[in-house]
Amino acid sequence: MYKYLSFLLVTCLFIFSCNDDPVNPTDNYSSDLGNIAADVILRTYLELRTASEDLKESLAQLAATPTEQNLLEARNAWKAARSPWEKSEGFLFGPVDQQGIDPSIDSWPVNVTDLDAVLNSGETLTKSFVDGLDGTLKGFHTLEYLLYGSNGNKSASDFTARQFEYLSACGQSLAGATNQLHHSWDPNGENFIENLESAGEAGKSIYPSQKSALQEIVNGMIVIADEVANGKINDPFSQQDITLEESRFSANSKKDFADNIRSIQNIYTGKYDSPVGLGISNIIKSKNSTLDESVKQKIEAAISAIESIEGTFTFAIFNAPQSVTFAQTKVRDLQQALESEVLPIITNL
Amino acid sequence: MISIGKKIFLCLILLATLWSCEDTGPIPVDVDQASGGETTVYGNYISIFQQPAANLTSEEIERHRAADVAFGDQFVTSPALINAGLGPLFNQNSCESCHLSNGRSPFPTSSNDLRGLLIRLSVNGEGDHGQPLGIPGYGGQLQTKAVFGKAREAEVTWQEESHEEFYSDGKSITLTRPVFHLDNPYFDLPSDMMISPRMATPIIGLGLLEAIEDADLLSIADPDDQNRDGISGRPNLVWDVVNQKQSIGRFGWKAGNPTLLQQTAGAYNGDMGITSPLFPDENCFGQLQCDSLTDDPEINLDLLKTTAFYTQSLAVPGRRNTDDETVKRGKELFTSINCSGCHHTSFETGHHEFSFLSNQLIFPYTDLLLHDMGEGLADHRPEFMADGREWRTSPLWGIGLTHVVGGHSRFLHDGRAGSLEEAILWHGGEAQQSHDEFKSLSAADREALISFLESL
Repeated sequence: MYKYLSFLLVTCLFIFSCNDDPVNPTDNYSSDLGNIAADVILRTYLELRTASEDLKESLAQLAATPTEQNLLEARNAWKAARSPWEKSEGFLFGPVDQQGIDPSIDSWPVNVTDLDAVLNSGETLTKSFVDGLDGTLKGFHTLEYLLYGSNGNKSASDFTARQFEYLSACGQSLAGATNQLHHSWDPNGENFIENLESAGEAGKSIYPSQKSALQEIVNGMIVIADEVANGKINDPFSQQDITLEESRFSANSKKDFADNIRSIQNIYTGKYDSPVGLGISNIIKSKNSTLDESVKQKIEAAISAIESIEGTFTFAIFNAPQSVTFAQTKVRDLQQALESEVLPIITNL
Repeated sequence: MISIGKKIFLCLILLATLWSCEDTGPIPVDVDQASGGETTVYGNYISIFQQPAANLTSEEIERHRAADVAFGDQFVTSPALINAGLGPLFNQNSCESCHLSNGRSPFPTSSNDLRGLLIRLSVNGEGDHGQPLGIPGYGGQLQTKAVFGKAREAEVTWQEESHEEFYSDGKSITLTRPVFHLDNPYFDLPSDMMISPRMATPIIGLGLLEAIEDADLLSIADPDDQNRDGISGRPNLVWDVVNQKQSIGRFGWKAGNPTLLQQTAGAYNGDMGITSPLFPDENCFGQLQCDSLTDDPEINLDLLKTTAFYTQSLAVPGRRNTDDETVKRGKELFTSINCSGCHHTSFETGHHEFSFLSNQLIFPYTDLLLHDMGEGLADHRPEFMADGREWRTSPLWGIGLTHVVGGHSRFLHDGRAGSLEEAILWHGGEAQQSHDEFKSLSAADREALISFLESL
C-alpha cells in the first residue's frame, strides 16, 4: 500500500513540478530580433548621427554668420536631431548606458551657473574643451538653452560672440557623441548589434537565449512609457512647476513625448520608416492577436492624445489640465498593457 | 523512529523535486535559485539590476519609481532652480554616473574619465568616533572634479604591475594590478598619506543585507579563530550618525557604514558635494576651495530617504543553470575548498521597517565581516576597526551577470581582476588556504567552480 501511494505521489510531483510549457524548439525569433536591431535601433542611431552632423554644420554657420535666418535654421536642425534621440529612448540599454554616452547627449538640467562662468572666462571654446566638461554643460539641453534662451524668445542680436563659439563647439561635441553611439552598434564598428542578432549563440551574444534579448527589449519599452507618464508629464504637471519640464525652452516637450511613444511603436511593429517590419508585434500576434491589435491601438491613442494636448505643454499644465490628464492616462494604459500583458507572454516564451 | 518505507518515500520526493524541471521556470527547483527570497526576479539581460523587487505592493512600486528618478538626478552648481548644490568639489554629478546600470563600475578609461572609481585618503590616527583622519586641505576622499573656476584636488594616474601565478598542473596566469598615483595636487600632499582606491559596487540586494539581524552576524563572527580554520571574521564597528552610537558596519568595501541611509548620505556628500541633514558640512569644509554659501543642507531628509529606498527596493536576480552538472560540481567545490567560510551562503533576514525585506531566506554569499585578505590586496589604510589588510567579504549574488549588465569583467576594490579567475587568485591572508586549494584543482574543477560563480 505504502509503495503504491508513494509511487502515485512521486508521479504527481513529476507531473506538476514544472508549471512552464517546454520550449518549443521550432520557435525562432532571430528574424524579429535581427529586424529590430538593424531596421529600428541601428537606423535610429544612424539618423541621430546624421542629424547631429547637420546640426553641427548649422551651428558653425550660425557662428560664422549670425543672422535670424541662420538662427531659425539652427533651431530647426536642433529639433531634427532631437527627434531621433527621443525615438531612441525606448531602447536605452547597451553602449548608450554602459559607455556613459547618455550624459553627453541628454543631460538635464543645464548647469546655468557654470555655463555663465565658462562663457565669461578666457577659456578657448573648442570641441575638446567641451568634451571634457560634465554632461550638464553640453548636449541637447545646453544647446536648447543657448539657442532659445530661458523664455524661448531669443533673437540673433541677443547672442554674444562667446555664445556662438560655445554653440559651435557644443555642436561638434554632440556630433562626436552620437557618432560614438552609432559606431558602438554598427556591424562595421564595435558591433553591439550582434548581441541581438545572434542572441542565444554562445560566444556571439551576451544573451544566453533569444528570450533574454526579447525581455530586454520589452523592458526598455516599459521604462520609457513609465518615464513619459510618471516622470516627464507627471512631475511638472502634478507640481505645477515648469522648471521641471524637460524641453520647455524650445517648447518641444509634446514632440519629445510623442517621439518617445514612437520609439515604442517602432520597436513594437519593427518598422522605422518602412511600411513593413518584424517586431514584438509579430510574436504577440501569434500568441494573442486581440492583444496585438489592442497594443497597436493603445500606442496610436497615446501618440494622438499627446499631440492633442492644447497649446504648448507649458501652457497646458496650467490652462488645459484635462488634456494633459487625458494624455497621461493613455500613456499609462499603454504602459499597463506592456507590463501586464506583453511582458508575461515574452517571459513565458 | 521513521520507517524504511517513509524514508524511501521522502527520498523519492526529494529526488523528484530536484530533477523534474529541465528549464528555469518561475518556481525555483533549487531553493537557492531565489537568491533574494521573494524579492527575486529572473532574467539574463542588461537591465536585470534595474528591476523593482518582485514582492513590492503597487504603492511601493510607485515609490520605487520615484526613487529611481532621484537616483538618476543630475546636480548642478548653485544657485540653480532645481537640483542645486553640486560640489564645489565632487567625483560625479549623479548616483547613476558611478553605478552604471546599477552594476559594478567598469575600469576607468583615462585620468579624465574615472567612471565609478574614487580614492579615499587619510593620515595616521583616528577621529573622535574611530573614523579615519582626513588629510588637511583634502578631507577623507579625493574629489577629482570641481565646478567651473575651482581646481580638482589632484589627477589620478596609474601604472600596471604584473606577476605570474602557476597552477599545480603547470598552467600559468598573469595577474595585473594598477598602482595609483595622485599627480598635480592643488595643495601639498603629506608624506604619510594613505590612499585606498574603490570601485562602485552593484547596488542590488542592499536592503536585504540591511535586514540581517546583528545577532546573526555576531554568531558567525570568529575574531579569535576559535574553530581554527584560519578564518577569523569580525564585524566592523562604525559610527552611526543618526543614532549617535557605535554600530555594526555593513556597507562599503570595508563595511564603513551601518545603514543605507548613511551610506546614501555619505555618497551624496563625498561623491557629489551635496549636503544633507546627516552630513551638513560640505566635503571641502574648512578648505581653501570651499564655497561660502549658506544653503546647507542642500537636500532634505525626504530626498535622502527616497534615494536610499531605491537601493533597498531593487530585486535580486535569481540564479541560472542550477541544474547544469558542471555548475553543481562547482557548487560542491565552493564549499569543499571553503570559499563559503567567508562567502556565507545564506541568511534569514529579520524584521525591517519595509516588510518586503523581512523574514526572507536569502543567498548573498557574504558574511558582511572583515577578513585579512593578505598583502596582495592590502590598501594599508585602516577604516574604523578594519586594518590595512582587511576587507569586507563582498556579496556574490548577481556576480555572474557582471559582463551582461556592465559589458565588462573587472572585479575587486580597485578593478584589478580581469576575470573571476583572476579575482580568486588575488585572495590571500585568511583565504590563502582556499586560494592554494583552488590552484591545486584540476583545470576541469577550476572551470566548474567558475561556472558556479557565473550561475550566481
